[in-house]
Amino acid sequence: MTLLSRFGTTLPLVLWLLPLALLPLVASSQRRTAVSAIAAVPFDGVSRAIGWALKLAGLFAIGGLILALAGPYRSGETVTRTGIGAQVSMLIDRSGSMNETFAGKQPSGAEESKAAASRRLLGDFVGSRAHDQFAVTAFSTAPMLVVPMTDRHDAVRAAIGAIDRPGLDYTNVARGLAMALSQFGAEAASISRAVLLVSDGAAVIDPKIQGALRAEFAKIRPNLYWLFLRTKGSPSIRDKPAGEDTPQAAPERHLDLFFKSLGTPYRAFEAEGPEAVAEAIRQIESLERDPIPYTEQRPRRDLTPFAYALAAFGLLVLLAGKLLEADPGRAERRRMTRSPTPRDITEERRLAA
Amino acid sequence: MRSALVHNLCDRRLQALAVVTGLVLATFAVRTVPLTRDGIEMLAVVDITGSMNVRDYQRADGTAASRLDTAKAALRELVSQLPCGSRLALAIFTERRPFLLFTPIEVCRDFSPLDGALGSLDWRMAWEGDSRISAGLFRSIEMAASLGTDLVFITDGQEAPPLPSIGGPSYEGKAGAVRGLIVGAGGTALAQIPKFDDRGRETGFYGETDVQQENRFGPPPTDAENRPGYDARNAPFGGTAAKGTEHLSSVREPYLKTLAGETGLAYAHLDGPGGLLRPLLDAGTPRPLPGSLDLRPLLGSAALALLLAVFAVRPLRALVRRGGSRPLRWKKA
Repeated sequence: MTLLSRFGTTLPLVLWLLPLALLPLVASSQRRTAVSAIAAVPFDGVSRAIGWALKLAGLFAIGGLILALAGPYRSGETVTRTGIGAQVSMLIDRSGSMNETFAGKQPSGAEESKAAASRRLLGDFVGSRAHDQFAVTAFSTAPMLVVPMTDRHDAVRAAIGAIDRPGLDYTNVARGLAMALSQFGAEAASISRAVLLVSDGAAVIDPKIQGALRAEFAKIRPNLYWLFLRTKGSPSIRDKPAGEDTPQAAPERHLDLFFKSLGTPYRAFEAEGPEAVAEAIRQIESLERDPIPYTEQRPRRDLTPFAYALAAFGLLVLLAGKLLEADPGRAERRRMTRSPTPRDITEERRLAA
Repeated sequence: MRSALVHNLCDRRLQALAVVTGLVLATFAVRTVPLTRDGIEMLAVVDITGSMNVRDYQRADGTAASRLDTAKAALRELVSQLPCGSRLALAIFTERRPFLLFTPIEVCRDFSPLDGALGSLDWRMAWEGDSRISAGLFRSIEMAASLGTDLVFITDGQEAPPLPSIGGPSYEGKAGAVRGLIVGAGGTALAQIPKFDDRGRETGFYGETDVQQENRFGPPPTDAENRPGYDARNAPFGGTAAKGTEHLSSVREPYLKTLAGETGLAYAHLDGPGGLLRPLLDAGTPRPLPGSLDLRPLLGSAALALLLAVFAVRPLRALVRRGGSRPLRWKKA
């Protein structure tokens, strides 16, 4: 059954015509000759065999053509191979400030906004290695699943292509992280998994959600990279605030502390310009080098030529039968001039059939 | 012997069989013919505001489906029906603007991420509760223009807050510059809008006092003087709270048709989880895509017809000659 299920047709309805292939069993392409008594003809095994061969040939010819019209194919298979790469779940900040430059201004002239720079550099990152898999999640006020985990790099690039569009209001990291984590499937834990957070700010993670996030990180154990696009003059991840050191006063620092406390491999990259972003992405690329199983889709195989070949075979036999056919009636008419050859007798098979 | 061969060669059925064989052998030689087909490039903007959660559609198994679920199903089916090479970009709409999730993705090669992305559209992605349809539509048209695509805007047309008495903003762009379709989702009967708490759990339905029933920005309507408690300075909209049906929802077809007329888009109603292909192909810009035509089915069906004729014509003709009676039988002596 598994073998059979790999075969299919593109137009299965055409197969309803298949009973027509039985037509040669009741009708023949050979001449019909009336004889006075079929019983008078001696039994001839060769004639019988030829008769049946022609019937079968007709069956093959019609059946083959109908089959060919239905478009038979053997379905493609999915082959799993192993390559070098990683599953990367990208979590991209789409808050409004991402549309400003690294200097915190509206981009003008040759200046590039943070979103445009990350769009360009992340777009190069995707597809630089054939077997990486990516998921893209955007977040601002609410997390948005953009593209689920896939190895179709064109689709991922299309998702990254949208990140320099005008952004929304807030930076709500916690729910975004939860969604980015949920993109990892239930595959073997041997795959290298990474969460890449690209943001230009941070927010307080609700202590209630912290516990749930911790548990998720402990279960999936991804490598966590935070690409922090720092605007000039704004506090660094490592700066201690002058006043009270609370998450509200220094959200960047406390997000960093939270990530460090997760117990998963974690690196933060602080980038103050496009070059620094490019350098960070290069480093991430070199760190994520593990074998990853990937699937390759073998195209399905068109079996139509085989069906046509079957039809052609039947047709050639039929043609041969027609070409070598005897016409006893005509022989009768010519009996005056020549005597029948033994060959003519054997080909009176139609009468027997 | 040779004369028998010549005699056979003159046989009509032999000639027909030779033609059939020729046709079948030709299938091995013909190549596919290149031709162009019409594809679509479109930006789909899906309204994910609260009123899209109204369950006024039915699934095939009889259970109720929300407008958003139905719109998602319709888009997924559309993507699976579009000719290969067509491309789809996706944006979500709430508040007053569309938010682009991805630039156009090809519908065949990248079907699975596209299908996954459509499947995971959720009202929880919304960043604000307002639903200013006209503003969102106008900006969606701009977005489609910047992407160079057609537009499919799926909404139920319910403005929240309701439009002021002087009407909504008017379209300032060039009507018809972007082609496409406004798809009205929802039933024509008023239905209750589900309400969710801040953790996303459903907690019932919106009541009359939960939502703004009348927009009291701008000048009051002209008939305000007849309202009870009217006072030109202190109560220009009347002295009582507005009553209305804004907490219920139905598809606002007249409004959407007006918007469609204003912007030069076509309008279609979403009748169920499908049926978007035809109106879209009619309304959209056809984009030539390279395709190919397989000639083999043509040759094959001609061959089959002729071959069946070879077998069936004689017996049928004989049947007609006999007037439908059974053929003579020769019995064994």
